[in-house]
Amino acid sequence: MPQLSFADYAAIQVGALLTFGIVSFLYKDNPFYKLCESIFVGLSAGYWFVVLFWENLVPKLYDNLKHALAEPTTATGSLSIEWLYLFALLLGILMLLRLVPKLGWLSRWPLSFVVGATAGLYFITYLQSNALRQLQATLVPILNFTDMASGKGPTSTLNAFFKQYLGNAVILVGTVSGLFYFYFSKEHKGWFGRSARVGIYFLMITFGASFGYTVMSRMSLLIGRIDFLISDWWPALMGGWM
Amino acid sequence: MLAGALAACLLLIFDATAQEATAPDAVVTAKDRGSDAGGVIELSWAAWELPADVARFEILRGTSPEGDFETVAELPGTDSGYVDETAVDGQDYYYIVAALIQTGGHPFVAPTAGPARSSAQWFNTSRLNQFIIGAVISLAIVAFIWAARSGRKLFVRKIAGLEAVDEAIGRATEMGRPILFIPGIQDMDNVETIAGLTILARVAHTVAEYETTLNVPVSRSLVMTTARESIREAYLAAGRPDGYSDDMVHYLTDEQFGYVAAVNGIMVRQKPATCFYMGAFYAESLIMAETGAEIGAIQIAGTAQPAQLPFFVAACDYTLIGEELFAASAYLSGEPRQLGSLKGQDVGKAMGMIAVAAGVLFLTLSSLLPGVDLFRRLADIVGGLFQVN
Amino acid sequence: MLEKLLALDRRWIFLLVIVALTLPFFLNLTCKSYVSPEVRTLYDAIDKLRPNSKVLMAFDYDPASEPELNPMAEAFFKFAFTRRLKVIILGLWPQGPQQADRVLERVFADSVFGAMNLQYGVDYVNLGFQSGNEFAIQGMGSSIERVFPRDVRGTVTGDIPIMQDVKDFSNVDFVFNLSAGYPGTVEWVQVAADRYGVRLGAGNTAVQAPLVYPYLGSGQLTGLLGGMKGGAEFEVLTGFPAKANKFMVSQTAAHMVVILFVIVGNVAFFIVQGRGRKGRGEV
Repeated sequence: MPQLSFADYAAIQVGALLTFGIVSFLYKDNPFYKLCESIFVGLSAGYWFVVLFWENLVPKLYDNLKHALAEPTTATGSLSIEWLYLFALLLGILMLLRLVPKLGWLSRWPLSFVVGATAGLYFITYLQSNALRQLQATLVPILNFTDMASGKGPTSTLNAFFKQYLGNAVILVGTVSGLFYFYFSKEHKGWFGRSARVGIYFLMITFGASFGYTVMSRMSLLIGRIDFLISDWWPALMGGWM
Repeated sequence: MLAGALAACLLLIFDATAQEATAPDAVVTAKDRGSDAGGVIELSWAAWELPADVARFEILRGTSPEGDFETVAELPGTDSGYVDETAVDGQDYYYIVAALIQTGGHPFVAPTAGPARSSAQWFNTSRLNQFIIGAVISLAIVAFIWAARSGRKLFVRKIAGLEAVDEAIGRATEMGRPILFIPGIQDMDNVETIAGLTILARVAHTVAEYETTLNVPVSRSLVMTTARESIREAYLAAGRPDGYSDDMVHYLTDEQFGYVAAVNGIMVRQKPATCFYMGAFYAESLIMAETGAEIGAIQIAGTAQPAQLPFFVAACDYTLIGEELFAASAYLSGEPRQLGSLKGQDVGKAMGMIAVAAGVLFLTLSSLLPGVDLFRRLADIVGGLFQVN
Repeated sequence: MLEKLLALDRRWIFLLVIVALTLPFFLNLTCKSYVSPEVRTLYDAIDKLRPNSKVLMAFDYDPASEPELNPMAEAFFKFAFTRRLKVIILGLWPQGPQQADRVLERVFADSVFGAMNLQYGVDYVNLGFQSGNEFAIQGMGSSIERVFPRDVRGTVTGDIPIMQDVKDFSNVDFVFNLSAGYPGTVEWVQVAADRYGVRLGAGNTAVQAPLVYPYLGSGQLTGLLGGMKGGAEFEVLTGFPAKANKFMVSQTAAHMVVILFVIVGNVAFFIVQGRGRKGRGEV
């Protein structure tokens, strides 16, 4: 490991201490964990404040309004588009009026704007990408008799046959029975109830697979921390700084 | 005159001693691209009858048939079209397509195409299907909201987990321990957060009646202000305005893992008897649910984040899966807009179920009976409904 | 005995998992990686790009997801530079572009890539972070320069050589998104891929990967690296085995411990439950 500067050495030691502190919670809650938790909460709150101020408020609001004041009109004589940010400034001020009890009701306007604008954008986006494209991908034949008769394509072997068409059947049954489960206008009784039950089984299998993936993810993060302790912290502790 | 102008232009581009030849049978069409915001003209041509393969095409553009033409593009010889994205709306353009063949020599020039004028359209007609589907679902939602407002009772099936809410609050009251409510880690522009806060209002109403302690740590400032308002109104409705305190809802941090570290600390120290997790969650969900299970709290969760549902299902006593969160919010609040939205969405789901089943059936039948064109056409119609352009 | 097993203090399980994860660091073991179709799809898509093609890498994650996503980024950079692709880096998370810089440091520390003398601004550029989430992606559909007016060094985007002929998504040959949450792959699919027809590949944390598999099946995504395993497979395919492959042994060991406890726990649970029923005369 190359010789570290004092700053790098200190950063690694602090990182290791915080790692041990947070992981100590696995044994039981203790003051060391509480200290690390407080440091993390405070640091992250401060970090996000700084990021939101310098990456959002300053470039998006301040710089644009400054540009509008410097160049109020375009070459063709129309108002600069940056004047629109006055509207954003107004909404921001209305939001802050939440802190004034008598005027707090005014903060509902910017809130409504944000919720409405997002809903409008998401309506088409989710309809396109999450509904229609997925439903389109579900339109596959249960059996393609033409392919089977001609002996070409993935049905040319029994293995590929099962892989493709069993998969298609599972996709169809899973999609439709899942939709049955989330249909709220009908009680889950009789054939409808049984179909919905099939749907919940599909959901649970999916959750199991997703859980397995997440276990892998958590283990990966822990491996990353252990790698830091073994590859960075321990050599630094033994080697000191230059 | 045109030939003279053309010769002058082409001589500048090609060998000065070369002569151009016309390709009178080559047909080039130039037209405005429809359903766009303007500024685009599309050229297309069929394969030309030439003595050898085309090495490359040169596209020239001018604003009048007699005026100067300039080269705007060079294309491989295998192309059969060009999209001019630099057109100015309202301006007439003329195009000349010249082909250089691989054996060399003079270029072959198609008759001038044009005038073509680009323009912006109001509607993208290739997305008509999406408009129709969106309109049908929206109209269904509006119709059901209207029906709910006019007093008509709209049926929503029972949702397991909701019945446990009162029992869970009662348990906390008996044990004399607080109730923890986490409305997710997203902001007020997230529909799950809104659903979570609707359920919070209902929970707060019951908590006010039972005089239990409610603790709502949040990770967004907007959520804090909205949650305070919801709880204040709930306490007022329950006839216990004096029981409310702003400290019930407190902001921790925007940072995901900083937030969950703090929530874990609250759980371990205060040992709430009941934990509600209602809203949008990400990786922190399992950490919270595990800690809640460890302290022996009864946990009721609801989220529409598919990646987090497994953890809640495994670690919590009751889980509202996906849309059940929104259904629960509508069910508990009884608000016409929420109920109507839920029922309207059911119309969309029913349409989807029927279309998928029909489409798969038609596709399968068309492969079984390839001679019967009807099934193929029906399958194409169903497929066209879901086409995204 | 079985009751004791069911009531086992979870801290013993934590200890066993930590031992399973840590031991392989001190043993010289390797683990073979079998490449999944979705990883192969991504590899083939990049392999088919011609030299000097423009690839946009969106770093949408923070240090919390570094162990999973940095190995993917490193393998992708190495593959892209070997194929002489031009890489445009940006991020919708504030720390994303910083992660890109850290990965590039590692890449250029490798003598092979150090010797390539790749130039900032010519072969790769870091346009930095921009807030706005999916609105930023939408803005890039019209003009990347308007959304990212300057790079991380303060240079005007229009003055950067690599960006000369890159106006919007139509001038980008492939987008590779590394994502750990929101905004991330879902937003890139919804806006960039579906609305602007961008060819999009993704590297996700294993938590997010199941969420984006439907996009793979429908063709909205061209390839997916899921978690550290996906990163390990991509390292093998590209010929640059590194951290992800090294950690696969630990990963496998930990999974085996978890599977063992799941099986033992379930068996114990059902046996104890059965005994309880017999005792109550229900069976």
